[in-house]
Amino acid sequence: MEDNLVELLATFKYPVMRQGSIGANEEYPETFFTFWCNEETEHSAYDNETLNTDNSFDVNVYSTDPDTAYSLQRQARDLLKTNGWTITSRGYDVPSDEITHTGRGMEVVYLKNEEVNENG
Amino acid sequence: MGKNILKIDYSAFNDLLTKLDELQGDLKPVVTDALEQAAETVEWDTKEAIAKSNMPAKGIYSQGDTQKSIVENARVTWSGSRAEIGLGFDFGKAGAGGFLITGTPRMKPDYALQKIYKKKKYMTDLQSDMAEIVNDAIADHIGG
Repeated sequence: MEDNLVELLATFKYPVMRQGSIGANEEYPETFFTFWCNEETEHSAYDNETLNTDNSFDVNVYSTDPDTAYSLQRQARDLLKTNGWTITSRGYDVPSDEITHTGRGMEVVYLKNEEVNENG
Repeated sequence: MGKNILKIDYSAFNDLLTKLDELQGDLKPVVTDALEQAAETVEWDTKEAIAKSNMPAKGIYSQGDTQKSIVENARVTWSGSRAEIGLGFDFGKAGAGGFLITGTPRMKPDYALQKIYKKKKYMTDLQSDMAEIVNDAIADHIGG
């Protein structure tokens, strides 16, 4: 589901990267997304075959403009929800390494139906 | 007190409490005990997770204020029939380790803290411990 998440976030035309991937001496982009996979867990199974998985991610937006951080996080939330992601959080502050940037985050979950191999 | 990240799912726990209530058991001490033990577990696991040797950058992010921001000896407060307890990091205090859990664009989330605050298994185990306390209370009550 990571590919799906990144693909959707990329439609906003801002950089999308894994949390923690900006180098110590690398500049922050003006506005960007980060994501982190918290875990993928088995939601249900039958005969020891996984039927559904929970895919949990953190999604964060950072921007030099606080209004952009807030509005982009809300827009991303709406887009992800439209595409089947479950998001119970309305958003929360996340810390930034740089004092110039405001961060907003949310946890997103996708319940994925896995194909069951009927031939065993 | 600032809002703490860890959320406890009370749903299964509530079913057992209903059962105890139907047996006319005293809920408040049982709920208090279960919540305070859960908070103590989170306290000690969080302290272990942020021990210097376990932290990135040789623990420079885990000293002083971060250590002090961990809720210690948490106690339940009751408002009518509603129980509340703070646990984990107190985000009302400076240096609270939220950034260690969420990471930053330059720092990955801390693995040990993620296990506590982001993984289902930890929460499931906490709930199981809480349910055991309620089950013991039910058994004691039935036993007389």
